[in-house]
Amino acid sequence: MSKIIKGPSTRELMAQMARESEHLSTNDRRDFLRKGIATVGGMAATVVAGGAIGDEINVNNLPPNEPSWGKQLGHGVVEYPYGGPSKYEKHVVRRTVPWLTADSIASISMTPLQDLKGIITPNGLVFERYHGGVPQINPDEHRLIIHGLVERPIIFTMEDLMRFPSVSEIKFIECPANGGMEWKGAQMEALQFTHGMLSCCEWTGVPLKVLLDEVGVKPEGKWILAEGADGSHMSRSIPLEKALEDTLVVYAQNGEMLRPEQGYPLRLLNPGWEGNTSIKWLRRLEIGDSPWYHREETSKYTDLMPDGRARKFTFVQESNSVITSPCPEKPMIKPGFVEIEGIAWSGRGKVKQVDISFDGGVSWVPAKLKGLVLDKALTRFSLVTKWDGQPWLLQSRSVDETGYVQPTLSQLRKVRGGNSIYHKNSIHTWKIAPTGEVTNVQIT
Amino acid sequence: MFKLLDKTGIKESLFALSLGAVLALTTNFAYAEKFGFGDTATQDQIAGWDIDIRPDGKGLPEGRGTIEAGEGLYEERCATCHGLFGEGEGRWPVLAGGEGTLQEERPTKTVGSYWPYASTLYDYIRRAMPFTAPRSLSDQQVYDITAYLLYLNEIVEEDFVLTKDSLATIEMPNKDNFFVDPRPDVKNVRCMQNCADPTKLKIVGTLRGITPVGHFVEGADAPASSHDAQMEQEQNKEKVRKATLKGESAEVATHSKAVALTEMAMAGKDIYDGACKVCHGSGLTGSPKFGDAEAWSSRIPKGMPQLVQHAIKGFTGDTGVMPPKGGRVDLSDKQVENAVAYMVESSQ
Repeated sequence: MSKIIKGPSTRELMAQMARESEHLSTNDRRDFLRKGIATVGGMAATVVAGGAIGDEINVNNLPPNEPSWGKQLGHGVVEYPYGGPSKYEKHVVRRTVPWLTADSIASISMTPLQDLKGIITPNGLVFERYHGGVPQINPDEHRLIIHGLVERPIIFTMEDLMRFPSVSEIKFIECPANGGMEWKGAQMEALQFTHGMLSCCEWTGVPLKVLLDEVGVKPEGKWILAEGADGSHMSRSIPLEKALEDTLVVYAQNGEMLRPEQGYPLRLLNPGWEGNTSIKWLRRLEIGDSPWYHREETSKYTDLMPDGRARKFTFVQESNSVITSPCPEKPMIKPGFVEIEGIAWSGRGKVKQVDISFDGGVSWVPAKLKGLVLDKALTRFSLVTKWDGQPWLLQSRSVDETGYVQPTLSQLRKVRGGNSIYHKNSIHTWKIAPTGEVTNVQIT
Repeated sequence: MFKLLDKTGIKESLFALSLGAVLALTTNFAYAEKFGFGDTATQDQIAGWDIDIRPDGKGLPEGRGTIEAGEGLYEERCATCHGLFGEGEGRWPVLAGGEGTLQEERPTKTVGSYWPYASTLYDYIRRAMPFTAPRSLSDQQVYDITAYLLYLNEIVEEDFVLTKDSLATIEMPNKDNFFVDPRPDVKNVRCMQNCADPTKLKIVGTLRGITPVGHFVEGADAPASSHDAQMEQEQNKEKVRKATLKGESAEVATHSKAVALTEMAMAGKDIYDGACKVCHGSGLTGSPKFGDAEAWSSRIPKGMPQLVQHAIKGFTGDTGVMPPKGGRVDLSDKQVENAVAYMVESSQ
């Protein structure tokens, strides 16, 4: 079976119309765009909600008419015992860049940051990264063994672990390769692909320190090997200091048990550190006196410098920020008031300040942090301003509580070249065209 | 008691009281400061899972790996993805070569050119390889394959014997070129005005055709729901783009058709996903690609019994080699048969 897919998309037609209307005055252009959508390409009127294609509009559901849903009953309780989003939100999904990896089993998908509000990532949209696919683990058959340089090695059932006093903390988790496709140049025409290896949840579990006190770490214990139960048996060496500071052994996220994709029934969480250290499907913690230098801390997740040498144990996700509205998926709708919104975060603590530039970094104005401002969590920023249809080179720049200022791309490239893959946290630029179209550009 | 409370951060006095009461009943005061949850792990339990190896050789089991034995194993279990000489098939990792490329525009990071320790090779093969059948190799087989890979990388000679002791003595060429993270390594300042010369800003846009755009395709029934579906959407999009340039309309393939699968085929889906898809999902090493009716049209007429036989026993065809059970010798014949049924029924 095959089907015909029409050539240009609605969004492309919009962009085309926008280009054609560039010479018009603001009011004329607005009219042109509005009428154009209903007629160009012979399409019926469609709703364009920030790049997503909705269903056709039925004028019978618009005032002064009583809409169809007001004239009938909806479904009753437990029709959907575990509810999902509205059918009109089906475009809000994780997506991948297929050419990045050889296979979907050892691959990554990105969170649709362009469609999210606040700082919490819904569980079904948290970005995925697997090295051997998602195992389906029966929690009754799952065990965590802590051994090595300890007074008493202990094997825990899930029930044992959930008896410990629990903590719940909101923390971001980010893949160090987030943005890594853009080291050598702008590549991705979508926020989801430039920054979507990033999520933020409320995680519930036991501080690892509590479990370490339980086994009694010997004085010569300095490093911990964390290992997963999945087919990749993913492993990383974690310094003991981190474990004593804030590492969690987590079994729940956003109020429910972990999703299989996030390590059900048990995972590690190293707040602020590169995501791969937060081993999923955690089954074993071994205490040792030196690191193990496993594949994921030598062959991978080391940062190659221009002189051919490489940085190891590059744990921290340094402060970063990006504007989420507007973005390529959410173009400017029309001139007038606009709220510039985005997210900022730092693996070293709280975000202290975010500034916004409209001219590619020549001048900056402070944005407002809104909602919760938490340690190692996504922090939302906002600036309400007016857009008169002039072109913008829109940027955000975060400052964290250690005083670290998010660097420019040129500053990073000067030190690290273009082959380090990981930890690209530079100031990001969206180019806003007079049409409202948003494209990804780099300023050098 | 208060020491315990400080340690665990429990502030609620009611809970503290009840916990205190429980602890007061505990006879073993060595545990008075501990919760006492979980059992002491036995040496047997630990030994089964304690698979890690360190650069100093700690964790290595007994064994004796030879290049001769490793060659056959490597070709049977590893070469499908990594290539006969470690050159890598498709986008699967390149394992050998790449010496002296680390400062180049496109470095080739391999075991020989990049990895600092030989122990990592043994550890990784033992914990995660072969990709479709992790933990299926014996410790001895891991020694053999590790020896062969070191040989492919010209790190050891043909007569080298890899043991617990000799592995820890191997010096990898790139060993000294790793150093601990020095970040923060750049220092930006929070400048607010005249931070750059506006006349000197160079604006560089994206290259065309790289961003996946499947989710913007007009008329797409649903957003890409999987890696494969998205890949297909990308390919379709590209076909349409090319056809549109020529002023034609494009017919594109879609797997969204509802295929009525037999029970046998349904039972084979999970086996396919876990074992066969690695190659058949993309047509790697000349394998007939899942869903590609054309590629399967010359094979299906041979009949199920022969296809199943080839899948179980292995087969060398015109386009490539099918290893016995695709290298998954742990699968039963019935499981392989089910997987073949699933592939055949989905590819007609």
